Amino acid sequence: MTFYSLPFLCFLAVTIFVYFLAPKRFRWIVLLTASYVFYFLNSKWLIIVLFAQTAVTYAAGLLIRRVQDRGKLYLSEHKEELSKEERKAVKGRTRRSAKHILLIGAALNLGILLLLKYSNFFIDNANRVLSFSGIRLPSTCFLLPLGISFYTLQALSYLIDIYREKLEPDRNLGKFMLFLSFFPQIVQGPIPRHAQLAAQLYAGHSFDLKRLERGAQLILWGWIKKLIIAEYLALPVARIFSDYQAYPGSAVFLGAAFYGLQVYADFSGGMDMARGVSEIFGIGLQQNFRQPYFSVSVEDFWRRWHITLGEWMRDYVFYPLSLSGAFTALGRKARKWLGNSAGKRLPSFLSMFLVYFLVGFWHGPEWKYIAYGIWNGIFIASSILLTDVYGRMRGALRIRGDSLPWHIFQILRTFFLITLGRFFSRADSFPIAIRMMGRMASGLFDFRWINRAGLEDLGLNLRSWACLLVFLAIAFAVDLLHERNTAIREEISKKPIVIRWAIYYAAILAIMIFGVYGPEYDPAAFIYEQF
Amino acid sequence: MTEQIMKILADIRPDVDFEHETALIDDAVLDSFDLITIIGEFNEAFGIEIDVEDIEPANFNSAAAMEELIRRLVNEDD
Repeated sequence: MTFYSLPFLCFLAVTIFVYFLAPKRFRWIVLLTASYVFYFLNSKWLIIVLFAQTAVTYAAGLLIRRVQDRGKLYLSEHKEELSKEERKAVKGRTRRSAKHILLIGAALNLGILLLLKYSNFFIDNANRVLSFSGIRLPSTCFLLPLGISFYTLQALSYLIDIYREKLEPDRNLGKFMLFLSFFPQIVQGPIPRHAQLAAQLYAGHSFDLKRLERGAQLILWGWIKKLIIAEYLALPVARIFSDYQAYPGSAVFLGAAFYGLQVYADFSGGMDMARGVSEIFGIGLQQNFRQPYFSVSVEDFWRRWHITLGEWMRDYVFYPLSLSGAFTALGRKARKWLGNSAGKRLPSFLSMFLVYFLVGFWHGPEWKYIAYGIWNGIFIASSILLTDVYGRMRGALRIRGDSLPWHIFQILRTFFLITLGRFFSRADSFPIAIRMMGRMASGLFDFRWINRAGLEDLGLNLRSWACLLVFLAIAFAVDLLHERNTAIREEISKKPIVIRWAIYYAAILAIMIFGVYGPEYDPAAFIYEQF
Repeated sequence: MTEQIMKILADIRPDVDFEHETALIDDAVLDSFDLITIIGEFNEAFGIEIDVEDIEPANFNSAAAMEELIRRLVNEDD
């Protein structure tokens, strides 16, 4: 039951109806029931895995807090008797006990994720290494529970925040079950923090017609992005990636660029739907995208793309690693042989490199995804290490950092680098991605294929190409307005009712006429749903 | 201490008005790399250990907030 199917619309309508009909204090139970029904309809008995991870995380959260509270109680009861060293020792013991529980909770969550999602990756690679010995490990055959990569990170952040004493654990198992399973976000995020989302989920919100309208606006825009832009782009992308040797370099580059746009339309469209559905219930999900194609560097791109994953990695991998004793000591040593400036940045450089390795691996159990992460990591980490060099180069070339041509150059450069990275994530394998890059380089400026026959050969007729270009232009205009801080939905809501409804009808008609859907068409799942 | 803090901050980000900025993190004036560099410098200059738990907007939104954090950690060590 996907977000853009008729059964989902019926399910949503029933949930909205029951939610606002139920007494306020029971409304979270309606959301919990809907979320577990939605999960069961999508993943059947794999719902047990979700529940098991929920139960483990819930128990671990309570245990961590109990250990911390006991330590504090002991210290306050024995304040007078204990010396400074003894107080420190008690604090240390408490911290260690809490850490052990955190590690067990995290290991169980990550263990399930690794077993179900990554076991074959490790087995296949072990078999390659062991091939000379004749030993062959059998492959596993696990089904992947819906959203496991997303809700596992959510569960880990919950436990770490409790351990860091930034969060009170949930006492009510039912409420915590809702936090990990909320149906609009379980498919592909965003990856919320408990402090940001939980209270909103547990409160009973009143019905608000304006919110319903605003939520519906987002859902409609999400459908347009998914059912028109992403689905149209999918056809030339599939043609080019499945038979790249038949196309000149510029078409191969276009395939990667289109794939980037396809993922953007698909993923951000899904996010719009998730945020729109949540808004109807009075729940605000975090933005996951902020006009990524206006980024001026690869680093900037990752601050605007899949924001909640980036923030998760920053708070739970980058900061702890950069500040760890080992990395700090390394930074000190590195100053001697790299110089003061670069040496200081080395811990950040290494941490960032590891973060992007993990970002790549998180996307899927294949080397090509690791290469995708490392590709991005190289540009970001090198920009940390070479900040001074870049600054001096700009100075020598007398380039003004705030000039418009430089800004546009930076956007185009970032687009090119990000697009090259797409070869890794979309090609069938790492070696094919490299070969595609070679093919691209051999004829990047060969545009002779751009004619009617050449374009139609990519799977879209001229009418479809025109339609795609119009909707890409609309999407670009929307992002441009957002980039200039225009609140488009508020502007639409302020318009007279006739104009407002004309826009909504136009959007609905566009989806009905141009959208790729219907019983004869089997739309692909969201790209990120598979991660 | 105030002067030393301002000098460290100005060395790392000379383009930022640390005297008046009060939303360095909330408005994304400082990014995560700046923050790690600043923390490293503070740790070294004041002999403290700013932990990952201390990385909160409230502690780094302004130079004054950073000073308060440093003073708290210095006193904790005493």
